This record gives sequence, C-alpha cells and structure tokens, in this order.
Amino acid sequence: MSQIPTIEDLAQQLQAVSGAREIDADAALQHIADVDSLDLMEWLYGFQNQYPHIPADESLFADIDDTTTLRVVHERILALVPAEAN
Amino acid sequence: MSGFDVAGWGMWVPETVVTSADLAQRFGVDEHWIVSRCGIRERRAVGAGQTTASMAVEAGRRALERAGLTGADIAHLIVATATPEQPSPATSAFVHDELGIAGSAHDVNSECAGFVYALVTAAGLMRMDPRPILVIGSDTHTQTANPADRDLSILVGDGAGAVVLTPGPVERIRAWNLGADGSCKNSLKVLAGGSRMPTTAETVAQGLHYAQINGNEIYLNAVRYTVRTIRETLEQAKVTAADVDHVVPHQANIRIINSVLSHTGIGPEKLVTNLERYGNTASGSIPIALAEALDSGRIKDGDTVLLAGFGAGMTWGSILLTWGGAR
Repeated sequence: MSQIPTIEDLAQQLQAVSGAREIDADAALQHIADVDSLDLMEWLYGFQNQYPHIPADESLFADIDDTTTLRVVHERILALVPAEAN
Repeated sequence: MSGFDVAGWGMWVPETVVTSADLAQRFGVDEHWIVSRCGIRERRAVGAGQTTASMAVEAGRRALERAGLTGADIAHLIVATATPEQPSPATSAFVHDELGIAGSAHDVNSECAGFVYALVTAAGLMRMDPRPILVIGSDTHTQTANPADRDLSILVGDGAGAVVLTPGPVERIRAWNLGADGSCKNSLKVLAGGSRMPTTAETVAQGLHYAQINGNEIYLNAVRYTVRTIRETLEQAKVTAADVDHVVPHQANIRIINSVLSHTGIGPEKLVTNLERYGNTASGSIPIALAEALDSGRIKDGDTVLLAGFGAGMTWGSILLTWGGAR
C-alpha cells in the first residue's frame, strides 16, 4: 500500500463507502448523487485507519461548500503528509 | 455470592407518534431523505404530563412486576438520564417516591451511554451489597431539540426501559469496558441551564437551552469509540465476534450501527434494533430494545449478549453478558 493516497485511491474509497455509481474528482462533493456528509465521515474513518501517519480529521470538511471537490480534499491531504513520508 | 440474575425488565414509550413524513413536511425535505439519513421512520414524543420521571416510573413498574418484586424490595435505584426531571433534585428522587423504593437512589448522566454506565455501576454495587437493584434508562430529548433544528429533530424520540437485577450465583458479566474523551465535549451540548451559563431571559431568547449537535464529529467519534469498546470487551472476554449471539447497540442512527457492525465483524443477523420505530431514545434505547427482544423470545437464557453505547461527552461503554435469571 502506498503511503500517500492518489486521487484515484480516494475516489475508489469514497465510491465503496457510499455506493455511488461514479465519483468525479472535479465535481462539487455536495452535488455528487448518493454521497452525503455521513458518507464522508465513514470514508474518513476508513482513511484514518488506513493511513494513520496522515493526521486527517473532520476539519478536512469543515468549510465544505459548492467549490469543494475531491481534488481539493486530496490537496488538503497532501498538505498534511509528514515530510518523511514524501 | 457476587453475581446477579436479570430478574425482570420493562419498557414504556409515549403514545404520540411523530412520523418521518410529519417531519419531512415540517422541514420541507423528502421523507426518503430522512429515512436514508438515519433509518428512522417514526419516533415517540411525550405529551402533557409525561416526563422523564413518569416514563421511568412506568418502565420501572413493569420491570418490577416481571421480577415479582415491589419497590420495597429494591435496595438501590439507578436512573440513567441526560434530560432530568428538573435541575434538582435528581430524577431518581421522583422515581423513588412514585415506586416506593426502599433503598438508595441516584442518577447517572453519561448521555446516551448512560444505561451501560448504570448497569456496570449496578454490577459493582451488587458485589458490595447483594440485594435487588432497579436500573432505568429514560430520556426526553424531544424536549431539548430545537423544533427548528432539522438534523437533531429527525433523530430523537422519547422512551424508557428498565431491568431488575437480583443477587445470583452466576457471574453474568463476562467483560466490560467504559471510556470517555472529554475533549469531544462540544460535539453535542446544551450550553445554558448550568453553573457555567445560568438560564436567563437572554439565553432562552437565543435558544441556548436547546441541544446543539455537530453531526459529523458525532458520527466519526461514535464509530471510532464504539468499535474500540467492542473490540476491547471481546478481547477481555477472550471471545470473537462470532461468539456473540445478539448485539444491542445504542439506537442512534442505522448508519452508525451498520458501520460498527462492519468494522467489528459482527453479523447483521445478530443486531437487535427498533430504531425504525422509536428513533434515538438516548439512555432508554438499549433497555427498550432489550425488553422487546426478551418479550419476543429472541433473547433467551444462556445467550451471549453484547450491549454497546456511546454518548455526548464523549462517553462509551460495552458489556458482554451471559443472559439469564428471569423469574
């Protein structure tokens, strides 16, 4: 397993958790059918277990709005990756 | 003798039904959205003259009758509630008076984990003083939810459940675990009405006497800590998820429950739930679900039963029991 998830990894994980047919990394998360805030939390719980070295928490989604996409979340995650993991 | 029997049980919910269709109309959302969000189709709400204590009295009375006892036989009464009858005295005082309890009375406020905390407390008391104990969980969270708060209003319902423990030779608790993380105290809170912010006309005008919830934080921590407490309890008992016959979780949200089952490996066929009909009744949820499963004959003597709850604070706890002792 990679120490740093790719955006494709995130999309697959969120798809598995939510049951959504498709996750477009550039679509606003609030507008993706079958994905709601509890799906995001369920995904985050799995993420925290899978990548314990990345200190991601619910603040990833604290200011979620119409412009927040999975790509934005991925960028936020990359910013959290400890230097030694890069 | 340090063990106990679960000699009786009972439950009581108000007659008034609030359906998800009712709430969908109130909040201008689709009924399907509510049900898919939390798995709740209807919940009960207290009416005139119905309170946390009055519900506790009814549930307690039924549990006593089932056990063939009266209040005069009870050495200790423990009422788990986060929505007390009034700030002082404790809700248990009202229940004590109504049921004619002979012995001590105190409240436990561990929010929705309250019944698990109360049961562990009762088991400890039983070791020191092996006489009958009445344990009740009762909450009226429909009264603390802001009627304009959609996210909380769709979840909460009112109800009470109770068990009577009597001394017995069997050590029924095979393992238990309690925990708390006070750094999560702001995930679900009622700001006004205590010493930190006494009630004033201003706090009421601002609605600070109503509960405020951060649903995302609650979800994440509820899953995290309930999974943790179940794993620790099973490990302590040296059993696996496959050895559990029934799991009775806090009935908070079906998506939290399903996540916990998935992450602990407990099969969905073992789940005892009535969430669809009663919603989240807080301290009442586990004993109400237990009472229904016992009345229907689903849970039988000798079964391995896992109770697991979490609540605001955060608090959490689980107990693995060998069920039995009904009269």
